[in-house]
Amino acid sequence: MAESITLRVTDLIKHYGSVRAVDGVSFSVPTASVFTLLGPNGAGKTTTLEILEGIRRPGGGSIEVFGERRLRIDRAVKERMGVLLQDGNFEPELKVREVIGLFASFFRRSLPIDAVLERVALKEKESALVRTLSGGQRQRLAVGVALVNDPELVFLDEPTTGLDPQARRAMWSLVSELKDSGKTIILTTHYMEEAETLSDHVSIMDHGRVIVDGTPRELTAGLGEETFIEFDGRGLSDVQLASLDARCGAMRSDDDLVSLETADFAGAMDRLISWAKEAGVPLRDITVRQPNLEDVFLSLTGRRLRE
Amino acid sequence: MSGITAVARTYLVTNLRERITLFWFLVFPLFLLTILTLIFGGLGSDLETTFAVGLVNSARANGGPTDFSSMVERAFVHLSSSDSPDRRPLFRLHRPADGEDPRAFLDREKDAVRIGDRALLIEIPAGFNEALLASVGGAGPPAAIAISVSGGRISSEIARSIADQVIAGVNERILTVVGRFDPSQALTVESARVGSNGRDFLYVDFLLPGVVLMAFFTAGLFGVPGTILFGRERKILKRYWVTPLETRRFLAGFSLGHLALCATQFVALYLLGRFAFGARVALLSPLSLAFLALAASVFLAFGFLISSLARTANAAMAIANILNLPMMFLGGLFFPIGELPAILRAVMLANPVTYLADGLRTALGVTTPMVPCAATIAVPVAWAVVCVVVAARRLQWGAEQ
Amino acid sequence: MGCRAMSAYRALLGAELRIFVRDKASLAFTFLFPLLFILIFGALMGGIGDAEDSRIGLAVAPNEEGRQLEQIVSETGRLSVHSHPDRTALEAALETGDVDFGAVWDGDRLTFLYDARRTQENHTFEEVARGIAARFNLLLQGLAPIVSTRVESVGGRGATGWLNLVVPGILAFSTLSAGLFAVSGHITGMKQRKLLDRMIVTPMPRVALLAAVISVRLAVVYVSTLITLGVAIAVFRLDFDVDWLRYSLFVPAGTVGMMGFGTVIALVVRQPSSAGNIANAISMIMMFVSGIYFPIEIMPAFLRGISRAMPLTYMADALRYATGVIDMSDTRFWWTTGILFGAGVAVLPLLARYVVRADRR
Repeated sequence: MAESITLRVTDLIKHYGSVRAVDGVSFSVPTASVFTLLGPNGAGKTTTLEILEGIRRPGGGSIEVFGERRLRIDRAVKERMGVLLQDGNFEPELKVREVIGLFASFFRRSLPIDAVLERVALKEKESALVRTLSGGQRQRLAVGVALVNDPELVFLDEPTTGLDPQARRAMWSLVSELKDSGKTIILTTHYMEEAETLSDHVSIMDHGRVIVDGTPRELTAGLGEETFIEFDGRGLSDVQLASLDARCGAMRSDDDLVSLETADFAGAMDRLISWAKEAGVPLRDITVRQPNLEDVFLSLTGRRLRE
Repeated sequence: MSGITAVARTYLVTNLRERITLFWFLVFPLFLLTILTLIFGGLGSDLETTFAVGLVNSARANGGPTDFSSMVERAFVHLSSSDSPDRRPLFRLHRPADGEDPRAFLDREKDAVRIGDRALLIEIPAGFNEALLASVGGAGPPAAIAISVSGGRISSEIARSIADQVIAGVNERILTVVGRFDPSQALTVESARVGSNGRDFLYVDFLLPGVVLMAFFTAGLFGVPGTILFGRERKILKRYWVTPLETRRFLAGFSLGHLALCATQFVALYLLGRFAFGARVALLSPLSLAFLALAASVFLAFGFLISSLARTANAAMAIANILNLPMMFLGGLFFPIGELPAILRAVMLANPVTYLADGLRTALGVTTPMVPCAATIAVPVAWAVVCVVVAARRLQWGAEQ
Repeated sequence: MGCRAMSAYRALLGAELRIFVRDKASLAFTFLFPLLFILIFGALMGGIGDAEDSRIGLAVAPNEEGRQLEQIVSETGRLSVHSHPDRTALEAALETGDVDFGAVWDGDRLTFLYDARRTQENHTFEEVARGIAARFNLLLQGLAPIVSTRVESVGGRGATGWLNLVVPGILAFSTLSAGLFAVSGHITGMKQRKLLDRMIVTPMPRVALLAAVISVRLAVVYVSTLITLGVAIAVFRLDFDVDWLRYSLFVPAGTVGMMGFGTVIALVVRQPSSAGNIANAISMIMMFVSGIYFPIEIMPAFLRGISRAMPLTYMADALRYATGVIDMSDTRFWWTTGILFGAGVAVLPLLARYVVRADRR
């Protein structure tokens, strides 16, 4: 059975003068899947999303959503979409319940307010004024607003930035639930773990372009059978690092983290251990891992996702 | 609740919950109404002030029948006692101490008047009785009472006019005593109020429409640009544009909410003016309500204009602050406008507030019209149309539409 | 101050000056506002002041007494007389505002007519009417007043019109607001925008910052009051007899005192954003009840009590004295100046310790 595609973007362009914020971006998002745009700050993720949300006008390219080509994202489309903006505020003097009610009134169809409050765990805070909420609570409120019309397509722009780990995990499980209930999710993030854990499909963006895309597994598989051996390199002198490099090669060191990339795990471990014995270096916090999306990005651009 | 009413409700509720807007849009007009009514409402009625007055009779003889100076003195002394416990005496007299040199007293008291410790110094000079007799006989000018006032002090002014009244009474009494004046033939003096069925208007009847207009004006001038521009800058509005709510529905809700705010202001001020201060002016008549609705709408449009002209919220607030007081005062909201220099008269005639205030007050019968009746509707409507046209083209809502 | 404090002070002084000059809103408020007030109130003078002649309409029976009445009225100062054939015509003229009030003599009684809508001004006309009635009363029996008053004005070096009284009041108000908002506005604004945070984590001596803000404020206020005064004199051709010593000592003292007041507000009101609004509200209230625009004497007793508790009342009087409009005891002037200055100086150290802090709880 042919997969149905909720959103198909082709050669999307948005230039601001000489700045090419979005420079020919294409992707398609199957229904009931999670699609992630991954990339560093300034890659053009939010601009892309805002075009799809209808608050920026595209400079070129085509958008096909809910099976139809659209020249603009009109009211009919917005009725079926839910949006979590990266930046945005609520009226400080409204109560949580009133905010949900306000946004619910904009849609022809909306869920009961209590249901939305329960969904985002804000029921006890329903009478609290927005200005008394913490950052995490505001984010939950924003998510509630994004879901108030029970949308088919949900945009989540940087949904976990600034949240503590517990809140982040709560958001991840919400995203899974949404997908399981048949919704299509498009999310942007610069957190690699988020992309890996949640996504069915990832497009990595940099400087306004998609530089690679695929499932997380496909992307890391592109790095081959590489293994990474890492340990805490605090206190090592440049001389010691140079000798390690000479012995083992393919070594990087920054932020006190020394990492060796190797296709031959056993051999590399051997050389590492003998070097450590000779140099008298204790191998602290040594870890061995498979390649991740961060490594993919690094290999393609030479830069890290997080500056 | 539909989107439009929800937006309207939000506008009203947030303005009433935020302390700053609650104060300036609601509390301050109520306060202003109270203060101005208390200050000016008592004008012309019994003063509650007692003036400190120095009094010396340098002409006192032995209190015999020809000692008119004592009569004058008693008339002033009478002012320093009060008939009833609630009414305060008008004067508090300071007299020379027993055996004090009158010259020294005069010098001391004049200095006291100079620095404001006394409102007035009254001296019945030596030779007063003789001068009086001469004047009665037709052989001389009126006998003069010397009064010293402090230049520039209102209290001196008022006390002096009280003294003048006393002297007028003294004239009549003395002439009666010497048999020249026949009190039974005294002039009958009446006074009557003309205009508006001769009903006596209180200052609050003049003021209340003005304060209501002021409240509408401040809400339109500050509230509208504030909400729109701060909403745009803080990205509160941005959250609306990703929903199916179109800007024109938002605008409708916003306007509705603003008019609801104005209605709240009106109700509060009306209740205060009517039940606390006894205002009788017919603000609930259809014509008056129509004018008020017009005013609220014109100021709403004006607010949109400011929102479209200023680039940032702070700039809008600065513009609003600069326009605020001149437009209110030169629109005749608080004081009737007298003769103005040409420039200011031009401002006054360009100001929509002038026409709205004049139209409203004339409709209520508390003032003589200053501008032609048709103008009181035409000019504000024209203003509103211009504002809306300009704003429609220039106003940015924060999303590329 | 130590050496480092001095150089910090100089640097901050330059910065504060530049900030002030570049902040157009602030400039407008400080310099433009008092001017606006003066211009508006000067123009409104005709409304509640005592500028021009009142117009009286007369409708008198054409007999001997009628002519006597006309004589009296025409001899009354500051009245311009308009004759009307009868009471109806006079009432019509009153209704359209062609005359301010009217007098009708029908051979039997004297009736004064007032416009019911001119509630504020009628008491002035009533006073004039009383004088006319008293003289007419005597004249009808062939008598003239035998007692009159001879008025001597003591004190007050300059001219004493209503606008002369208002201008120093406006100067006092702008001194008050400048001082008040320097703290509950400018400094609390810096605190709110976290500007203070950045400076406080440096070794910058807080005293230097305060000294810089205060210095700029004092200079600016003094200059702005001079400009306002100059404009008032030029545009409305007013006369003032300014005692420069007292003026130049009072304005800075008043500014310092009001900075102290602003400090108290900033201390009591924790939220920096609220401090500015509270200061605004308080200064508006003070403006109305301090006798600047309406004389205190006509206020009800309790409002007069309130006005005596307001510093602005005393500041306005002191400046009226310094500009020669009224006279007061010199001792009282110096007491006012001293108390303002002293109170400000006493409170300002609290500003350094408690207000100029990072906005953290």
